[in-house]
Amino acid sequence: MARMKFLCDAERCIECNACVTACKNEHEVPWGVNRRRVVVLEDGVPGEKSISVACMHCTDAPCAAVCPVDCFYTTDDGIVLHDKDLCIGCGYCFYACPFGAPQYPQQSAFGVRGKMDKCTFCAGGPEADNSDDEYAKYGRNRIAEGKLPLCAEMCSTKALLAGDGDLVADIYRQRVIRRGGRPKTWGWETAYQS
Amino acid sequence: MYARAIITLAAAVMLTACYESADVTVHKPGVYKGAKDPLLAKQRMPEQQQALRERFALVQPDR
Amino acid sequence: MKLIRKKAASEVSSGQSRFAGEAIDRRTFLRRSGLALGGAAVATTLPPLMMRKARASMSGPKAGVETKVVKSICTHCAVGCGVYAEVQNGVWTGQEPAFDHPISLGAHCAKGASVRELGIGERRVKYPTKLEGGKWKRISWDQAINEIGDKMLEIRKTSGPDSVYWLGSAKFNNEQAYLFRKFYAMWGSNNGDHQARICHSTTVAGVANTWGYGAMTNSMNDIRHSKAILVCGGNPAEAHPVSLQHIFYAKERGAKLIVIDPRFTRTAAHADHYVRIRPGTDVPIVWGMLWHIFENGWEDKEFIRQRVYGMDQIREEVANWTPDEVEKVTGVDEATCKEAARLMAENRPSTYIWVMGGTQHTIGNNNTRAYCVFQLALGNMGVSGGGTNIFRGHDNVQGATDMCVLSHSLPGYYGLSAGAWKHWSRVWDVDYDWMQSRFDQGSYEKSKGKAVKPMNTKGIPVSRWIDGVLEDKANIAQKDNLRAMVLWGHSPNSQTRGLEMKKAMEKLDLLVIIDLVPTASAVMHDRTDGVYVLPAATQFETYGSVTASNRNLQWRSKVIEPLFESLPDQTIMYKFAKKLGFDEQFTKHIKVNNDEPLIEDITREYNRGMWTIGYTGQSPERLKAHQENWHTFNPNTMLAEGGPIDGEAYGLPWPCWGTPEMKHPGTPILYDTSKPVAEGGLNFRARFGVERDGVNLLAEGSAPVGNEIGDGHPEFDHKLLKELGWWDDLTADEKAAAEGRNWKTDLSGGIQRVAIKHGCAPFGNAKARAVVWNFPDPVPIHREPLYTSRRDLVEKYRTYDDRKSHYRLPVRYWSIQKQDFTKKYPLILTTGRLVEYEGGGDETRANPWLAELQQEMFLEIHPADATDRGILNGQQVWLEGAEGARLKVKADVTRRAARGVVWMPFHFAGHLQGKVLGDKYPEGTVPYVLGEAANTAMTYGYDSVTQMQETKCSLCQIELA
Repeated sequence: MARMKFLCDAERCIECNACVTACKNEHEVPWGVNRRRVVVLEDGVPGEKSISVACMHCTDAPCAAVCPVDCFYTTDDGIVLHDKDLCIGCGYCFYACPFGAPQYPQQSAFGVRGKMDKCTFCAGGPEADNSDDEYAKYGRNRIAEGKLPLCAEMCSTKALLAGDGDLVADIYRQRVIRRGGRPKTWGWETAYQS
Repeated sequence: MYARAIITLAAAVMLTACYESADVTVHKPGVYKGAKDPLLAKQRMPEQQQALRERFALVQPDR
Repeated sequence: MKLIRKKAASEVSSGQSRFAGEAIDRRTFLRRSGLALGGAAVATTLPPLMMRKARASMSGPKAGVETKVVKSICTHCAVGCGVYAEVQNGVWTGQEPAFDHPISLGAHCAKGASVRELGIGERRVKYPTKLEGGKWKRISWDQAINEIGDKMLEIRKTSGPDSVYWLGSAKFNNEQAYLFRKFYAMWGSNNGDHQARICHSTTVAGVANTWGYGAMTNSMNDIRHSKAILVCGGNPAEAHPVSLQHIFYAKERGAKLIVIDPRFTRTAAHADHYVRIRPGTDVPIVWGMLWHIFENGWEDKEFIRQRVYGMDQIREEVANWTPDEVEKVTGVDEATCKEAARLMAENRPSTYIWVMGGTQHTIGNNNTRAYCVFQLALGNMGVSGGGTNIFRGHDNVQGATDMCVLSHSLPGYYGLSAGAWKHWSRVWDVDYDWMQSRFDQGSYEKSKGKAVKPMNTKGIPVSRWIDGVLEDKANIAQKDNLRAMVLWGHSPNSQTRGLEMKKAMEKLDLLVIIDLVPTASAVMHDRTDGVYVLPAATQFETYGSVTASNRNLQWRSKVIEPLFESLPDQTIMYKFAKKLGFDEQFTKHIKVNNDEPLIEDITREYNRGMWTIGYTGQSPERLKAHQENWHTFNPNTMLAEGGPIDGEAYGLPWPCWGTPEMKHPGTPILYDTSKPVAEGGLNFRARFGVERDGVNLLAEGSAPVGNEIGDGHPEFDHKLLKELGWWDDLTADEKAAAEGRNWKTDLSGGIQRVAIKHGCAPFGNAKARAVVWNFPDPVPIHREPLYTSRRDLVEKYRTYDDRKSHYRLPVRYWSIQKQDFTKKYPLILTTGRLVEYEGGGDETRANPWLAELQQEMFLEIHPADATDRGILNGQQVWLEGAEGARLKVKADVTRRAARGVVWMPFHFAGHLQGKVLGDKYPEGTVPYVLGEAANTAMTYGYDSVTQMQETKCSLCQIELA
């Protein structure tokens, strides 16, 4: 079974925001809700790096742990999803999430997309796959169609990768070897204290 | 960033203003109570996993 | 959720603190200051229409409905990314990555990933509208065409055809661009132009005059083979993001990336070596690098001997640019400059990329030629991985330039001579006398002492149209001032001198805007009458070919039918031609269905006439075959491997010689002698004669593989064929057509066929010119900008004298530069791009997915300059330009800007000197984001050859608002 993961290669990310608008386009995410965004470090000075961040689909997801109504579930291949019918929009998951992924649109302005909204790894929600109902609440279900998240598929420099973690790692490992040095992806030092 | 700043601020307040206790509250996920997602069954099918692998090979590698 | 009490871990998670402690980035800065604080803030500030859209816009795919996938090309920039559009029941419901597309390989930037919005968007112009008594009034197409046409005919009668200005667009596809050029030719004026004038005109002139053709020599994909990449005055990470995929391909294999720019751009952030220059000092930095190259003997002596004319004169000029002088003028120290030169010299093939930072100057043509000379000195031309990779701007600016939607030439760069008009009259199958009769018969200027007629003189360029309206009639070399302006796909805020433009718009009799969105042209003036806004269809609502930056032609299919009452441009042109009385000649050999000229017939017509640059082999059938076979092309070579078009270069990059039947594969790399001409090889063009002052201008001992002459030779005509004994290789029909003709005017293509059969380039085989003797500065030299910050350099690097008439208008140089503006305006002002917006931005600011990412106009200012003025990050400031315009914008205090240099993005419009013009737009068309137009504050200054506008260096002062 695959283990679905995102990886953003900070050596390649140019902060072009294609991932952000691809997401908006694919799921018609309303103004003010950002399932994905690009974060820049050291903006405007040497060493400037950017990475694209969304829900990281944690294995032990803090959002799921804190949810008072237990509306989160994880697919066998590691995609963290939730049921908006159950969600009460309390915002506790927003406190818990290390990445600021959960979003809270205005109920009055944006109707059905109220409550908590977040990246679904393009896998929709519990409704029938690719039903109109699922699209209205969660956006398109690309995984069910045998496709992968559009943000990564459209990335301008293929900095953002999405798919089975093993396959993502294969591509990334090749790049690291080709670059002939220590990987400079954001987060590497934190993860391995190197 | 704004949201994150609030979190950090809140964390800072909690860390400094509260007395220091070695005990914390840890959250463990409960049992999912929502509707059943048909995707879960679909994802278990080998053909579906194969389709996703093929898609990955088609779209994501460097060419 | 279950709660369990547990011993705490001792460490605080590092993830959050890493984020929170960082400096604020540009977008955060904007988000904090703008609307995106959260849902609540958005809900209160969005205009009502946005609310309705957000609710009603679920236009995504529906379950159980058949989906059709249509192939197109992105309509934003000239990288030319593939688009897969998913359509259900005529509604554009989704976009998929075109992963088999040879250039983009599935990638998009923010703009490309959101093009579907054009097919569902609500802020477009929906029906013809006119301004009457200060109010926008809906009218029918018939009424619009009739009223506008009647007014134009009246102006024609009283002031002549030259008083109507036809401003076209790089947003046209090739067929529309060609038809538009033909349109204003048949209207009887050379007063037509498009954005190429203000983006790369100095490139086209400089480069074409150096070695023959004024275009990118290699391709985005070919950068993969470079060992060093120099980006000079460009920011592809924001302006051409998908090209970075190819740049990184090379970089990750060891290529060095060097960036020369006054601003620390997002491209510079990825560079191995960054060189910060003072704006407007391109020639000094290039000559500074070349000084080190000559000093160390790094130049390619054999290449120069065989293929370059005039390098000795360059050496003399370069000798003046010692490291000290370079540092004094550019601000770059010796070690930094030498390192850039060394990286380029020691890592060959190395490529030179430039964009608007180099072109938009009063000496833009000097800059572009200096870049060319640099590459010639290193022998980097005509090789894979080398070349001058000039990134074009709009999606079809290369094609629209080739079709010569310009004021100084007919399609294919034939010029405006009688011979050129006769050639195109033959292609159009119209009487040359009739063609002549369409023009003003007076004469207003002289050439070599002889009176010349308006038909043969360059029209007013788009950069100067405002002067065509405002200048004293006595000083203009045509019958009368401009009285009617047609802006057909053009954002006025991409042009300088905003306040004077407002005045010009108010003085006109008639202002016609034909576009997807109303643009600032609809709101920036205080007119109450005589303005028409007509809805044009997008390129996804019609079909045809588009030429990417690398000269290849890509076919677009129609995704959806035109929305609302919009019409494709070719239909609007035909309607006007009918009204103005030349429809019969206009579409003599083009089928017209329901007022829409048939696109394929237009392609075939220009195939019959564009011999000069090889737009002749790309028939609609061949282009469609390329579209169907994206997956067969190798992204490393751009050649098809296997499949039905095996061996052809993707998109048949011009020159694609001869007739379509000749099956020339296109020329992926210009001037590449390692291949036969028949397979895409080439050499420098023999365009400037065979000798000058006794010096041979033809190539010496260098020719493409298989060239039977084996050496330099002049261009081909009927006489040369006969002399060489090759005349009998022509068929009887070809002989009849070729008699008395040359490779450019033989409509049978026989001369080209036979030349290529013998391995020769039809345009001859010559040396490149390092010295362009017919330009104001034959050897490219440095001249300070008109609004220079360095008074100490004015004496030594003085600008030109004022000129009485150039492109029909007087041009000021020294009369401006001699004045000292630096006391009142001590800061240098320059402009650039953001990834989210394109050009004037009117279309992209009307796309909520993009607009949300950049919600407010801003300027970048160095912390020291901000401190000196008591300005804090995020505060509103007034920027005053050197001609007095005042802009109210937000200050972004950042080290991205150099000390003393202020930078602004130029995509905003809808505010004017602090006044918000949002309520002036026609109903339902106001873009989501408005802001001050940077170019309102940009000042006078035009290139000495092409009248390119100066947008990259002026002066300003800033104070807290």
